[in-house]
Amino acid sequence: MIKSMKAKRTIGNAFIYVILTLLSIVWVFPVAWLVMQSFRKEGSAFTPYFIPKQWTFDNYINLLTDTSKFNFPRWFGNTLVVAIASCILTTVLVLLTAYAFSRLRFKMRRPMMNVILILGMFPGFMSMIAIYHILKAINLTQSLVSLVLVYSGGAAMGYYIAKGFFDTIPYAIDEAAMIDGATKNQVFWKIILPMSKPIVIYTILTSFLTPWVDFIFVSVIMKDNYDKYTVALGLFQMISRENVQKYFTQFCAGAVLIAIPITLLFIKMQKYYVSGVTAGGAKG
Amino acid sequence: MKKLLAVLLASMMMLTACTKKNDSKPADDMGQDANTKVTLKVWASQDDQEMTQKMVDAFIEAHPEKQWDITLAVVGEPDAKTKYLEDPAVAADVFAFANDQLNDLVSAGALYKVTRNADDIKARNSAGSVGAASKDDQLYAYPMTADNGYFMFYDKSVFTEEDVLSLDVMLEKAAASNKKVLMDLSNGWYIASFFLGNGGKLSISPENTQACDFNNEKGVQAGEAIKNFAAHSAFTTGDDSVLVAGFENGEIAAAVTGTWNAEKIQTALKDNYAATKLPSYTTTDGLVQLSSFAGYKQLGINSQTKFPVEAMDLADWLTNEQNQVLRFETKGYGPSNLNASQSDAVQANVALAALALQSQFAVSQNDVLGSYWGPAEAFGAAMEAKDYSKTVQELLDEMVAQITAAK
Amino acid sequence: MKLQSFFKKLSDAVSGFFAACANYFVHFKKGDIITKISYFIMGFGCFCRKQVVKGLAYLAIQLGYIYFMITSGVYYISMLSTLGTMQQGEVWDEALQIYRIQTGHNSMLLLLFGVFSIFLTILFIAFYFMSVSRAYKNQLLMEQGKHINSFKDDVRDLLDSKYHITVLSIPVILTVAFTILPLIFMILMAFTNFDQTHQPPGNLFTWIGTSNFSKILYQNPRWSSTFFKLLFWTIIWAFFATFLNYILGIMLAIMINKKGIRIKSFWRTIFVTTIAIPQFVSLLLMSRMLLDNGALNNLLLNLGIIKEAIPFLTNPNVAKVTVIIVNLWVGIPYTMLITSGILMNIPEDLYEASRIDGATPVKQFFAITLPYMLHVTTPYLITQFVGNINNFNVIFLLTGGGPQSLNLYQAGETDLLVTWLYKLTTQEQNYALASTIGIVIFMLLSSISLITYNMTSAVKEEDTFS
Repeated sequence: MIKSMKAKRTIGNAFIYVILTLLSIVWVFPVAWLVMQSFRKEGSAFTPYFIPKQWTFDNYINLLTDTSKFNFPRWFGNTLVVAIASCILTTVLVLLTAYAFSRLRFKMRRPMMNVILILGMFPGFMSMIAIYHILKAINLTQSLVSLVLVYSGGAAMGYYIAKGFFDTIPYAIDEAAMIDGATKNQVFWKIILPMSKPIVIYTILTSFLTPWVDFIFVSVIMKDNYDKYTVALGLFQMISRENVQKYFTQFCAGAVLIAIPITLLFIKMQKYYVSGVTAGGAKG
Repeated sequence: MKKLLAVLLASMMMLTACTKKNDSKPADDMGQDANTKVTLKVWASQDDQEMTQKMVDAFIEAHPEKQWDITLAVVGEPDAKTKYLEDPAVAADVFAFANDQLNDLVSAGALYKVTRNADDIKARNSAGSVGAASKDDQLYAYPMTADNGYFMFYDKSVFTEEDVLSLDVMLEKAAASNKKVLMDLSNGWYIASFFLGNGGKLSISPENTQACDFNNEKGVQAGEAIKNFAAHSAFTTGDDSVLVAGFENGEIAAAVTGTWNAEKIQTALKDNYAATKLPSYTTTDGLVQLSSFAGYKQLGINSQTKFPVEAMDLADWLTNEQNQVLRFETKGYGPSNLNASQSDAVQANVALAALALQSQFAVSQNDVLGSYWGPAEAFGAAMEAKDYSKTVQELLDEMVAQITAAK
Repeated sequence: MKLQSFFKKLSDAVSGFFAACANYFVHFKKGDIITKISYFIMGFGCFCRKQVVKGLAYLAIQLGYIYFMITSGVYYISMLSTLGTMQQGEVWDEALQIYRIQTGHNSMLLLLFGVFSIFLTILFIAFYFMSVSRAYKNQLLMEQGKHINSFKDDVRDLLDSKYHITVLSIPVILTVAFTILPLIFMILMAFTNFDQTHQPPGNLFTWIGTSNFSKILYQNPRWSSTFFKLLFWTIIWAFFATFLNYILGIMLAIMINKKGIRIKSFWRTIFVTTIAIPQFVSLLLMSRMLLDNGALNNLLLNLGIIKEAIPFLTNPNVAKVTVIIVNLWVGIPYTMLITSGILMNIPEDLYEASRIDGATPVKQFFAITLPYMLHVTTPYLITQFVGNINNFNVIFLLTGGGPQSLNLYQAGETDLLVTWLYKLTTQEQNYALASTIGIVIFMLLSSISLITYNMTSAVKEEDTFS
């Protein structure tokens, strides 16, 4: 009886291994293709076959050294600066907002939460023109600062997950601290925050990603100022009609270079990401 | 009350910090005295930056009487209109754009009329390029190149000079040697050649909407020809990258495209590289020569510029004969300047010669509005997908209805 | 029940408002000279009664507001009714041989800064009432000989009992500047004729009432039929993109988390890798790969699996399936990550019990796992659904909305409302129509999700601890 159960389980697991392997192939396939393209020597944009006929490192070398037309290293630096700044700002804003909605009780709490809920439903890029002119009015366009503001400006609206996480921390802990004379400010920084490592890392991770992938907002804000582009917009220039033939393989190389740090970050932080979103997402 | 408002307005003007944002200051300080610095920005495509910089340097050298601060920024001709309209106040003073944007730019009030030295500009450039830079007989831009049109590249080892006169012969021959003829039919720009060739007309109505007669009897003939072409086994479609890859691996024997792919195709075909005008197609009434859109690139002066006179002088310089020759020599761009285009070197260029051959059948793209492209693409896409659930007449009726729909 | 409480709240708010108005005059009458002066000079009542910093802050607000109104605010608000009257003109300059262009009004900027000025005015009025009521309260406290909060006290309050003000002020300011203000600007645009023929800098646009709405909903058959067709497809898309991703993502997570499956983190990492590649790269690659003569079709042809190329992106129906499937590739890893932790929270004894009853794993999934997950993650699902309705990236990068179709007006078969709207702005510069569509989507979504969200148990239970 037990043996047959075991056999059944082994068969079941074998079946799952097969499925997982197949799925992994499907998922890794485009990634592998991207990597192969980045090492392809044949210059053109499009090949009707998957595996390059000749291999080379030149795409990477050119990308990093030939900066006269596409200044990839600079764009990478810009993105890194923006990503770090905006992830710090976003994290602070999100955590404070979440804390307020989770822990504090005030008159406007529920109306504010409802307003925030519906605000997220208007297509974002429609407001770009307005945002651009607002930034222009305060003399901030075409600067990295404005980009940080744009990425973090609406960030507080994504407080749900963090609030869900805070909700799982028993309120008794706060009460105990407050009886000891701690202010709410102290409760947040000294008690809640140290207990919230997963959600802090989750927030940092998600907000760090945005500048690397956005190409719409940055194009409206930076316009013709090439020196202030981020990698995403910069890479996009490489596949415009006039450039795609010559630069497609370099575009792939650039994409791989973006993906590497993000992948490493994700692998390293996966544990926290999962536990952060688990506790937070469970209550939304 | 009015007085009060005037006072308010005046005080508002004084506060530069606050008025800066709407840039509503009229451009009346047109730096006539030598001491003011002339600040200009020029938009050129990324490929042309280096070349344009050289021209600008030469311009500054030739005009030492003023202090210049001329910067270049990257905005390609196809994106100029979109980028301009995002915020005219920070757009370049002198910018390059493709002539199909002229109508929109003029009606948006984006361009200065070209009046200084206008007679000379009109005289030294080809009539087609001047027409493409004009609206209602008023010149609005400086013609720069005359090569933004399409024609046909082919493989000499597959087709003879005789073959390439007829689309039908080409398709038969290509099918026989297991090769393809490429034309991007799901693209309003290319597909128009069938309709325009058979007498179709695109024009702008007095209400500034698109007028189009592609659904008349002649238009249906053209539509049927497109249908047959797309259904042929030797037909293939795709964008530029498919096209270039096709020539490289020998699958494609002929393709409709323009000068921007000439270099790549020449490298791929080597000695078999050839180019000519578009072929003719067959209708029940006989042979019809394919038409095309003649495209030009031109320089416009931003209506918001602070230095219109200087900007005009610069644009004039950037498009003069000497610099059009330089454009051809550095990048192979076909000149709109009459003298430059008559030079031996230009005449010997295979692609430009083919373009010149095609140009007698070409139609200016100025009268095409934004509403044309989507429905035309949709018709082409239906033909490519061999979706015959509706007749050609029905599809064309719907296409024309959408193209001409009032806003 | 709900409705009743809503109306009660509404009537409370209205009566509260009138009471406040009445108090405003009553307090002025009862107030001493300092209070009366502070009706005209903000912060005077604070300044004279030991709240120096607060008083100066109020005064600064008042001076700043007056300065702003004189320099530009009055002008912008006065221009709101017309959105500009002076069109760009030109004058022939004989000496220079040019038509000098005279800059006209820019309707778009007038609208934006008009809205901005009104915002500031509302904010100022709020501050004004705060300062007036503060002045009167201070007077009362003084008369009763009670303690008036010093600056230090205020700071302490802001870090404790009024901590929410400290914490939320910056997020609120940023949200107003970068979300609400632009939103109102866009909403107002729907009531104008801002399109290609009324475009700055050369032309003015102005108010035209609600005709854009009637055009899109019924008056203009071409627009309205396209609108409803795209709305239908958008909902289908959002449904599949949300629930298929959700269910398959959970299944994947279950498989990886199953007892006896080794190298769990390896499997997870493989799927996570795809998150790390920016969507604009992976989706563009996919669109190349899926071309009629692309690498995938060639591979399948060469292997002899298919005889004719599959029109992944060119046949309307196939293309719709393709975008949904490719979206699975994009979305499943996220769902997997997000749900795998929650899955482990499901009490093991639930499964034990059903196993004894002889339930198969499939039955367990639908009887235990899915209901539990649905219960716990409803808010997540709502946000996902809304996100997918506005999912710009996948469609825009993969198909660009194509294949274009004559059944639709200036749109393709896979276009969502949001990508159609994008096309209308970039290709046709029809901002008015685009905003109108945006508003309709917005109203639809917000009413659906507000109702669902407030009905979910997760929210109802939430207030219990306080």
